[in-house]
Amino acid sequence: MSLLEDELEGHPLAGEEESDEPALRSPARLTAFRRGFGGFLVPVLTTLIAFLAGGLIVLATGHNPLSTYTSIFDGTGLNWLFPWVSGADRATAAGNLQQTLIQATPLILVGLAVAFAFRAGMFNIGGQGQYTVGGIVAVWIGSSFAGMPPVLHVTFAIVAAGLAGAGWAGIAGVVKATTGANEVISTIMLNWIAIWLGVYCFQLGGPLQNPKMPSTPVSSNVVPGAKLPVFWGSAALQGLDVGIFISLALAIVFAVLIKRTRFGYEARTVGFNPEAARYGGINVGRTWIRVMLVCGAFAGVAASLDILGWKFSLFTNDIQASQVGFYGIAVALLGRNTAGGTVAAGVLFGALLTGTSDRNINLSIDPTLVQYLTFMLEGIIILLVSTDVITLRLLKGGRRIGVTLKRRPAKETGTSEGGAS
Amino acid sequence: MPDAGPPALELKGITKKFGSVVANDRVDFDVVAGEVHALLGENGAGKSTLMSVLYGLYKPDDGEILVDGRPVEISSPAAAIGVGIGMVHQHFMLVRVMTVAENIVLGQEPSRWGRLDLKAARSRVRELSDRYGLAVDPDARIEDITVGAEQRVEILKALYRNARILVLDEPTAVLTAQEVRELTRVLNRLKRDGTAIVFISHKLGEVLEVADRITVLRRGKRVDTVPRAGATELSLARLVVGRDVMLAARKSPSKPAGPLLEVHDLHVRDERQLEKVSGLSLTVRAGEIVAIAGVDGNGQQELVDAITGLRAPQSGAVVIDGEDIAGRGVRAATAAGVAHIAEDRHLRGVVLPFTLAENLALRQYRSPQYSGHGWLRRGYMKERAEQLLSEFDVRGGGPDSYAAALSGGNQQKIAVAREIASNPKVLVAHQPTRGLDVGAIEFVHGRLIEERDKGRAVLLVSLEYEEVKALADRILVIYEGKIVGEFPPDASEEQLGMAMTGGQVTQSEAAAS
Amino acid sequence: MSVGVVTITPPRAVSAKQLGLAGIVLGAIAWVITLPPIEVRGMLPSIVLALVAVGFGAASAAAGERKLGSEAIVVALLALAGAAASAKSSAATVESVFTWSALAAATLRYATPLLFGALGGVISESGGVINVGLEGMMLMGCFWGVYGSDLLGWWGWGLLVAMISGGLLALVHGIFSIHLRANQIVSGMGINFLALGITGYFLEYHYGPNGTPLNISTVPNVNLPLIQHVGFFGSAIGDANLMTWVGLALVPALTFFLFRMRWGLRLRSIGEKPRAADSVGLPVLRIRYVAVVASGMLAALGGAYLSVGFVGSFSNDMTNGRGFIALAAMIFGKWRPWGALWACLLFGFGNAMSDRVSSVNPTLGTLFEALPYVLTLVAVAGLVGRSRPPASDGIPYVRE
Repeated sequence: MSLLEDELEGHPLAGEEESDEPALRSPARLTAFRRGFGGFLVPVLTTLIAFLAGGLIVLATGHNPLSTYTSIFDGTGLNWLFPWVSGADRATAAGNLQQTLIQATPLILVGLAVAFAFRAGMFNIGGQGQYTVGGIVAVWIGSSFAGMPPVLHVTFAIVAAGLAGAGWAGIAGVVKATTGANEVISTIMLNWIAIWLGVYCFQLGGPLQNPKMPSTPVSSNVVPGAKLPVFWGSAALQGLDVGIFISLALAIVFAVLIKRTRFGYEARTVGFNPEAARYGGINVGRTWIRVMLVCGAFAGVAASLDILGWKFSLFTNDIQASQVGFYGIAVALLGRNTAGGTVAAGVLFGALLTGTSDRNINLSIDPTLVQYLTFMLEGIIILLVSTDVITLRLLKGGRRIGVTLKRRPAKETGTSEGGAS
Repeated sequence: MPDAGPPALELKGITKKFGSVVANDRVDFDVVAGEVHALLGENGAGKSTLMSVLYGLYKPDDGEILVDGRPVEISSPAAAIGVGIGMVHQHFMLVRVMTVAENIVLGQEPSRWGRLDLKAARSRVRELSDRYGLAVDPDARIEDITVGAEQRVEILKALYRNARILVLDEPTAVLTAQEVRELTRVLNRLKRDGTAIVFISHKLGEVLEVADRITVLRRGKRVDTVPRAGATELSLARLVVGRDVMLAARKSPSKPAGPLLEVHDLHVRDERQLEKVSGLSLTVRAGEIVAIAGVDGNGQQELVDAITGLRAPQSGAVVIDGEDIAGRGVRAATAAGVAHIAEDRHLRGVVLPFTLAENLALRQYRSPQYSGHGWLRRGYMKERAEQLLSEFDVRGGGPDSYAAALSGGNQQKIAVAREIASNPKVLVAHQPTRGLDVGAIEFVHGRLIEERDKGRAVLLVSLEYEEVKALADRILVIYEGKIVGEFPPDASEEQLGMAMTGGQVTQSEAAAS
Repeated sequence: MSVGVVTITPPRAVSAKQLGLAGIVLGAIAWVITLPPIEVRGMLPSIVLALVAVGFGAASAAAGERKLGSEAIVVALLALAGAAASAKSSAATVESVFTWSALAAATLRYATPLLFGALGGVISESGGVINVGLEGMMLMGCFWGVYGSDLLGWWGWGLLVAMISGGLLALVHGIFSIHLRANQIVSGMGINFLALGITGYFLEYHYGPNGTPLNISTVPNVNLPLIQHVGFFGSAIGDANLMTWVGLALVPALTFFLFRMRWGLRLRSIGEKPRAADSVGLPVLRIRYVAVVASGMLAALGGAYLSVGFVGSFSNDMTNGRGFIALAAMIFGKWRPWGALWACLLFGFGNAMSDRVSSVNPTLGTLFEALPYVLTLVAVAGLVGRSRPPASDGIPYVRE
């Protein structure tokens, strides 16, 4: 009996016995706890299916999906990795790849913010709000304290942004721990509250609005001393800054936290089975709060890297239009809530966003349309990941594609199977 | 005497496979109108599968089903109901927030223009209830009635749908002795009415009392069908297991020493702020097994929770070897030396997506060997796991296997291993053998006795009369949150039953049964 | 009950519960008296009332009614803040913000889409399917309603097209949640993104940068000739939109359906214990599908109201989170239609308030835009606590 079968049929919380406790299907299950085959292939397969579906829609509206996708791909800069691309093309590709990685930086972190919560059994839909709050703090600190030595200034801004994001997420955590309120609604509400807070801060006449530009709803600019150094490409053309390294480093921190620390163990236990966690002596409420704090910190740091890396100021429009938090959800799910997967998915989405942005002059399709195409792809990806049955099913060669799954009664085969599982 | 003519229900050559596992292997089974035919076998023998086939939940790979001599195709529960088969499941299928009447008529509600006619429903329920002696209050909500009443509702559900063939799946698992007697009376009335009854159980004693014929299933095959006359518990047990079985674990008398667990005047409330433990006191000494017997819902859960630290009592003391841990939480209890084999291993004992090593670390993960300064010592976890897995003969995987891959019995071994390995002073075992097969039960019982002999204090909370009898050195009966009686292990079921229901049954009734 | 050595018992004639309720009422009054028509100026009376309310709340909590007591304290503090705001603003400002009749009309307008969404949520979750995708279904209805109304010339067709679009999207959610047994919250979020993409894409594709045309046929208001001029009520409901009336009528209708009709019983049984329903032969999966599709259609109608009923156009992501507020309203209303109605009115009131504050003080108005979301957060966190959803809500049904 393969382990895959078990995953499909014997979900721990679905339970064989009747339990009057409503056991919500644990989102922690969406983690690929199968290494290897299932763990890597599934995200790739999911993406392919999503692209296929997206291609159909493109076709339906009279455009050529192949040329659309090719032009998107060229815009991502991933073609820079191909050694046969040279000359002017290579330079363009380099610029595009820098953009891709710039986009990937916050996506990875916000993805981690969502993934960590998932591992602990929670839905952190509040990445956008945590990011926003982090951004507000980052831009405020970055544009003040002009005389501070750069390393100190940058560290201060990043840490403060992380704390702000942590605090914002912490609200949802505390609420969940004390009243049991579902964090889906509370984090979504906090998103909107954060956005309006941000708009309030930087609107005309707002408390943090740039005094030097009184007719623009924007924050003050980040002082040169607080900007992150660019190491690839030129700063004038928005080259790649060191933020990407911070992002990757935090991904490693995530992996270590999850696997090797007590805190990670507690979080995972709570995620799989809060009742068992309680039984094991873990304080479930406190774990929830701690997890949310960490998640918020990741998202807050993401914002600071954006601000200090290339944005350098924040318009109210940015705040309202930003979708980073929501992309982060797709990134986390696609990456199956693991560190490596999230990084890969983050880069993938960064590539998608760059390839479909209006910077891509080769785009054979209207960039606005393509932006919505991205949303649709995201939606399809999330849908596919929500079940992971469909892709795992395909992997097993299409067996039992039929939809009413009959559960093997595990109790029945208990003795006859013995240990031969 | 059952009438002549074709049997009410006949299953011929039913075969059902799940992948390579043959759950039912050419099983023949028939019931005649007006008889009770028991289906006996251990967990995993194929009883539930057979009944699921009968009730349309599974399609058999081979074989046929005949009702009143005519072959029928049962593809869904609706079809089963259509041919007159009614099933009373082991885990009741009732909607807790709805009333008795609503539950009974669900799916075949009396209605006018789509509007529910609750008055008609109520009167029909009362009619059936009177006719068969199944006392229920049509307007009570399921969440407010007793378990015995719930079962009556389930039976009424079947009767409301004109079931001529009634299947009862482990009906006595949740009943007291008095309620079992009630049920027997109801079954007799149904028999007189010509209903054919299938009685599924693994309890040898009850089967002998109730059944006219007994069929034994083992490993998916029908072993034999015997009439009640001439069958004994031993002969049945031999058929069920296929070898001679010790019906009671051999146990040397206990040599208790000083008290390790003392509970003084404990008051505990449940989630709904109702007091479930009302001034309970007990003592368990080193080297003895004290069993708490009682009908489910009399405070056992809350008592166990209070002792193991999962719940803070309103007042009272829980003293472990001199240290009061009441209300201080699970970690304090564990540190003081309390081990807890939990009631529901899925909910509490074993985390299925974790590896065995991770599971074995669950209660001890904070101790210095397992972790230091926040870092887990994974090397130690693995080593320890290897030790424990071999010591407790856990089959199905190694330290890095996932718990989900193990069979139920092996999973429980993990839970037991973990608790015993923590070298506790007090071992609390709450329904430790629920859902396990005979082999696994033997193992768990053996270990509990072993731990007792090592000088630990063992508190066993169980709803299984046989288990209590086999293991306990002293039996305490809990009723409405208090200990109402202490009995020696050779006390009769009547004595215990009387205490478990608050001593309501009079002496003459007890004598007459 | 004892708190340390001191035993607090409420005065003989009054129970802890009554104290708590009194606290809430007094707290509310602390604020209300600063508003028209009473318009007390100066903070003193409000402070006194709020303090008394806090006292009652504390006593109530200490005497055992913790939730009620803390609610009273929260209400009192919020009221105090409100009273302070009233005191700081001029009388004219307060009056212009709190023109009750206009506020009431605005409340109804804002509550209507929420109501449709929340009722849709109630249907779906009564059957046991969590529907976080309400936002997406609303958005679909919002866009496709305009599309239909434009293309086919009449708002009625627009509403029909909206319903179909919502139903189709719900069908997708259903397939993933019911048949493929997906995690329903995740699949709901996927639905939302999908809807965002689809509506934006087709908005751009069909209407281009100019957006939707200006003269779309919109749902008419219902003019009640006699009532219209009768004071407060008149202006509040005298000219309400047809869909508002439909929505209000749906509340008792849905309640009747759920609790008095056969199929309502069956639906609820599936949400509570699908195994029980299956064991008596009900087609669990099919009924769930119907429930989900119905909820999608209702949510879409709510969205359509925004565009076709009210504004007459569609802009990107027009629903702006209303679907989630509707979800919160459903939870706040304890999964019952009437409860959802009151919740929607409350949230609609928040929206209406923020509008009026904006018209008076645009900077502050931005902050007030967050009011509905704050209210929702407080509602879900503080006031609702642990209310019980249908027992099998969110658990895919597998027959075994």
